[in-house]
Amino acid sequence: LYHVLLRTLSRKMASGFYKLMFIIGMVSLAHSGYSAAQHRRFIRITEQEYSSLPTDILVQSLVSLVLTVYGIVHISGDFKEIRATIQLENKTWESAGNRPSFYMFCHRGRNLSPNYSPPSSDGASYGHH
Amino acid sequence: TTFYCCICTCLLSHHLLVSKLNIMSGRMRMRVDKISGEKIVYSDMAIRNNASVIEYCRTSMAALSGATSGIMGLTSLYGFAFFFLAGFVLWLLLLVKAGRHWQQYFVNRKSLLTSGLTSGIFTYILFWTFLYGMVHVY
Repeated sequence: LYHVLLRTLSRKMASGFYKLMFIIGMVSLAHSGYSAAQHRRFIRITEQEYSSLPTDILVQSLVSLVLTVYGIVHISGDFKEIRATIQLENKTWESAGNRPSFYMFCHRGRNLSPNYSPPSSDGASYGHH
Repeated sequence: TTFYCCICTCLLSHHLLVSKLNIMSGRMRMRVDKISGEKIVYSDMAIRNNASVIEYCRTSMAALSGATSGIMGLTSLYGFAFFFLAGFVLWLLLLVKAGRHWQQYFVNRKSLLTSGLTSGIFTYILFWTFLYGMVHVY
């Protein structure tokens, strides 16, 4: 089940899901920052003792950080295979030994085409001598 | 002369392998695998691509964790501890992204942990002090 989920997620790569996660994480981080600033202002106005932020703001900022970084890690691009020989091992001879500039088209196969006209007898007797 | 012929064929085959790999993946570099002792050829362009992806992730992680620690109001030593904790979390996320066959993408896993630390820490301090000033002082 984990592998099926991973495959469906990887298909949606940078186009939808991870961008959405990144945006949600950033918005949540900004929201937690604004609420922290508001809390500080409130504490300063009511002249209370400031010890630390309320727990839910801390939890929200941490969770949004993890969400944003998770989105970024998957948006930032794919990893490439670094071992050069593994890429070569999977190639078949058809693709590896294929040299298109060495194709030859001047051979006897032209005798099989319907437009073929055999050379005249004058040319044939010239070849005998 | 036979020795010369052997050297020529060796160079030719090596050159053919190099040219094939040049067509395939840019430049390549030969390294000896320390565990099994055999030679492994790495593609330079792929290594550089993976390193740039990791650098991008690390810089953005430094900026975001600096913002978070500024918002949370962390002071001196707790802030630096949070930076190293965030680096560790990033290492875990990169390993999750690489998957089970991490050897396809990295030479060793420990280098992921400490690769971009110095530039990351400056970005972290920048965002940390800025957000701390914005949220707690303003």
